[in-house]
Amino acid sequence: MSTYAEKYFPEEPSGPKVVTETIPGPKGKAAIKSLSEVFDTRCTFFITDYSKSIGNYIVDADGNVLLDAYCQVASIGMGYNNPNLIKVAKSDKMVRAIVDRPALGNFAGVDYEEMQRDVIKYAPKGQKYVWNGLSGADANELALKAVFFNYQSTKRGFDNPFTPEEEVSVMQNLPPGNPELAVLSFTRAFHGRLFATASLTRSKPLHKMDMPAFHWPTAEFPGYKYPLEGNEEVNKKEDERCLALVEDRFKNWGSPIAAVIVEPIQSEGGDNHADAAFFQGLRDITLKYGAKLIIDEVQTGCGGTGIMWDHERYNITPPPDLVTFSKKMQSSGYFFHDPKLVPNLPYRQFNTWCGDPKNILMSGAIMKEINEKDLLPALRETGLYFYSKLEELQKEFPGFIRNLRGKGKGCFMAFDVPSPEKRAEFLAKMRINGVNLGDCGEVGVRLRPGLVFGKKHVDIFIPIARKVIASL
Amino acid sequence: MPIADKYFPDEPKAPHMITPCPGPASKAKLAELSTAFDTKAAFFIADFYNSLGNYICDADGNLLLDAYCQISSIALGYNNPELLKAAQTKEMATALVNRPALACFPSSDYYEILKEGLLSVAPEGLDRVCTAHTGSDANEMAFKACLMYQATKKRAGKPFTQLELDSVMKNETPGASDMVILSFTNGFHGRLFGSLSTTHSKPIHKLDIPAFPWPTAPFPTVKYPLEDHVEENKAEDERCLKELDHVLSTFPHQIAAAIIEPVQSEGGDNHASATFFQGVRELTKKHGVLLIVDEVQCGGGGSGKMWLHQHYGIRPDLMTFSKKMQNAGFFYHDPLLAGDRPYRQFNTWCGDPSKALIAKAIIHEIKENDLLKGVNETAEYLYGKLEEIREKYSKLVLNLRGKGRGFFIAFDMPSAEIRDKFLWGCRQKGLNLGGCGDVGVRLRPGLTFGKKHVDILVGVVESELSEMSNH
Repeated sequence: MSTYAEKYFPEEPSGPKVVTETIPGPKGKAAIKSLSEVFDTRCTFFITDYSKSIGNYIVDADGNVLLDAYCQVASIGMGYNNPNLIKVAKSDKMVRAIVDRPALGNFAGVDYEEMQRDVIKYAPKGQKYVWNGLSGADANELALKAVFFNYQSTKRGFDNPFTPEEEVSVMQNLPPGNPELAVLSFTRAFHGRLFATASLTRSKPLHKMDMPAFHWPTAEFPGYKYPLEGNEEVNKKEDERCLALVEDRFKNWGSPIAAVIVEPIQSEGGDNHADAAFFQGLRDITLKYGAKLIIDEVQTGCGGTGIMWDHERYNITPPPDLVTFSKKMQSSGYFFHDPKLVPNLPYRQFNTWCGDPKNILMSGAIMKEINEKDLLPALRETGLYFYSKLEELQKEFPGFIRNLRGKGKGCFMAFDVPSPEKRAEFLAKMRINGVNLGDCGEVGVRLRPGLVFGKKHVDIFIPIARKVIASL
Repeated sequence: MPIADKYFPDEPKAPHMITPCPGPASKAKLAELSTAFDTKAAFFIADFYNSLGNYICDADGNLLLDAYCQISSIALGYNNPELLKAAQTKEMATALVNRPALACFPSSDYYEILKEGLLSVAPEGLDRVCTAHTGSDANEMAFKACLMYQATKKRAGKPFTQLELDSVMKNETPGASDMVILSFTNGFHGRLFGSLSTTHSKPIHKLDIPAFPWPTAPFPTVKYPLEDHVEENKAEDERCLKELDHVLSTFPHQIAAAIIEPVQSEGGDNHASATFFQGVRELTKKHGVLLIVDEVQCGGGGSGKMWLHQHYGIRPDLMTFSKKMQNAGFFYHDPLLAGDRPYRQFNTWCGDPSKALIAKAIIHEIKENDLLKGVNETAEYLYGKLEEIREKYSKLVLNLRGKGRGFFIAFDMPSAEIRDKFLWGCRQKGLNLGGCGDVGVRLRPGLTFGKKHVDILVGVVESELSEMSNH
């Protein structure tokens, strides 16, 4: 039986092809130079020719063809130029969505409900409604706003009016109108880079430096010992220690904690995993203290870990209060189930666009494709195969590959290398040998291929990695 | 030939109302939609397939002349044929299915798209762009740019200190900044946490959300008609500038930037004089404070110039945009505003090439068809008609304003109830209008609005006012 990639990307290259001595090559360098006059290019890996990229392969301006295991910072799930998505991009619905972009809160279109239901159909277990944003950070901040509205209106009485003191103080950015409420996040977490989300983000100083921040608490995210087999007791103690810290914050923080926000796998912060006991513990503590639990699935969601929503594997009971999404979904926002997370009055959770039908349409099409074409069982199989191959590499190079993690979570895997310098060298050499990869945390290498990555791509990746590591 | 005739030969000749608005079909659809999505702010369900040019069609088949245009965000009318073409190109399909992480892997055509599009209309002196996703996002990224810029200057080439590196991870100073962003009373700059801390339009926009203790300075309250209040308005400008100077001199924390709208739109369509804006520019310069002009609602040609602040002859350090451009972001010049090192101003998408493409197409149309000239001509005609109406209904139409500012015209009504009744009444007669501030009515038509549309708008407004004054 042919794989998804074989079926839908029949012209996908059979392997990488590097034609210049450096990446970027001369054409790419020239293009970066002109672009840099008008747009900051200091983060640019290379200039990409998207019209030539296909499936799991990204093509740069010099014609280099690279196997892509980074996929636009984990945001391209379906491969480049997926023909089934191109059909959607060319549909009349899409064309209208682009030229007649509505202010959705005021003037939703006749076809909007269907588009939205096509997304809600695949909502995480227990979630019923959606509110749209325009980026992952936006989604998280909108979720925080929903929580704060709910917290204060629960205190006030859901339909009770604002007090005159609230209405006056709010215009001066002071309590009680602007209350001192907090949200707890975890060490090494990443939730975005706008002002509230940067206050939650604790991945790296560079992500936050020089921004004013809310004085919000953190607790430690578990740091497990690997391999997990054989370290069960130590890791269980680690869960207990971290949960005790969370509870301590609830008891002792200076302002009320309205919510806990957590990633199922801390991605930017180093691909840190935790287990069901930890997540259920968070659920229990948030219930005990009347706080909401927000699961940030921006990077993990939409199939990346072999199931649609990564937190579902932990069977958190009752389900989380809000689940945020973006990236691979192409659309952003949060799912929720309690109608009281919608404010009692209009124009509180509001902005001009309230989402974008163009993205919502794409989102529905992506999830339909994932489900109808059964991409996730195949991805889980590929992931196990990939993991076993990486395990072999780890055994071969125990001094280089450490803490291999992500077994059973599709291709959402990572490992650590000895130093940031070694990592930079490794990534650069992988690229010039035809594999595009990304990093995370201090010394992590993360694998973020699309959902259409198959065993044959693993078989291309592994020998290149072996050759590169041996050369280091 | 008026531009609407060229683009939309089949545009309706007049509004056509079959049912009340919202009618039964809209209501039924809203009831259904409300089980999945908050519809409390919905006017009606729109049928964009059957909307055309300056007319929006609703789910009941009512055709309304639209002078609100998706809260000032549709520039060239519904189903504009040139934009339909742009949306059907191969470039667009490629951009839609291969959305890049723009800072890491920009597309080979991104430079050209920016150069021919957004940058071709950048305000004088601002020759770089940082692309974003929404107006709030654009403003917050502009704040970040200013905060990093000021901190970098203060650091004078030294690396981050250990204390900064440690404290920032606890959200404490000195790593987390105690610098502030100054905004103006009644301003609106968005609803995320940083932008909301600079928004001072209405309590409902801000209540229950934690905020930064950032300062405000007063925005002038101008008296109308202008020609009858020259001295008072001059004194008001002076008072506000003096107060601004005072805040800039005495606020206990460093003010990294000031942000201001050329016309405060959500806050009530409050205009100020060129003298005031020039004063703001001089004072911010004097105090080493960066000036951000927020053109999210004002920009994109509705004012008769591409950017409304160009009416005042000032040059800001940063200028944010969104709405009519469909693409959001900010223009700037000083490379230090991009951060002293990479990955400081960064996120996954850093914009969206499909939006940059549509912005390019919109800009091309504005230039190609000299749409701003049309806006100025039509707007002058519109303002004249509204002046006549104000004279006739002087108890209902107050503080008519926006002369010489293109379609950026508004007036007040005696109370919020009367205003809301007026807006609802106009809608029943086939004119879609929006409010702003407590008692304001704002006109926000697209750039394809012509004299024939003015005549229809004026007819509906007059008939509604006449009914209201007879009751």
